[in-house]
Amino acid sequence: MAMRAVHKRYLREFFPAMAGYMILLFVSVSWLKSLDGTLARTLVTLLPALPIAFVIRAMVRVIRDQDEFERRIDLEAIAIAGGIGGFGFFTYGLLLNARVLEQPTGASVAVWVFPILLGLFGVAKCAIRFYYRSHE
Amino acid sequence: MNNRVRELRTALGWSQADLGEHLDVSRQTVNAIETGKYDPSLPLAFKIAGLFSLSIESIFTPEP
Repeated sequence: MAMRAVHKRYLREFFPAMAGYMILLFVSVSWLKSLDGTLARTLVTLLPALPIAFVIRAMVRVIRDQDEFERRIDLEAIAIAGGIGGFGFFTYGLLLNARVLEQPTGASVAVWVFPILLGLFGVAKCAIRFYYRSHE
Repeated sequence: MNNRVRELRTALGWSQADLGEHLDVSRQTVNAIETGKYDPSLPLAFKIAGLFSLSIESIFTPEP
């Protein structure tokens, strides 16, 4: 079945933004090796976050413009991902607080929040879609 | 909610994709409505009723 226009637009917006993220991440990491100054390092560090904002914009636009059932699946998946992700980080935080786990740096935890939420969203969406398909 | 969408669609010889195109929704959405897994919103129900030139209550009926 042909892809609907709203999803074609999403891919047109998503892939260039992800490509931009990978390029800017490479540029940022390379540049930071020889860069001094707090402001300059802050700006260069945040460079890869700019295309991620466009990824989020693409996701919001596709959720808003797709049909009501597709939107329901996406919103359910976001709710499940947010719930599981939040619960996971909360329990992880409790375990860290109790010092029963090795203490990571704050940066190494924070940098994984968004990718984990996106990953959980993808898994939840596949599971929900499978649920509806299994009743065809 | 029970509905007659599949019956009405097949009477016209349309596929789920055809109906989806007329309603501007995905084939998956049409399937979910037909199998009763998803009850459409009022605007979509009106659109379906308008497409088949029937009233909403003659297509959608509450489960007994």
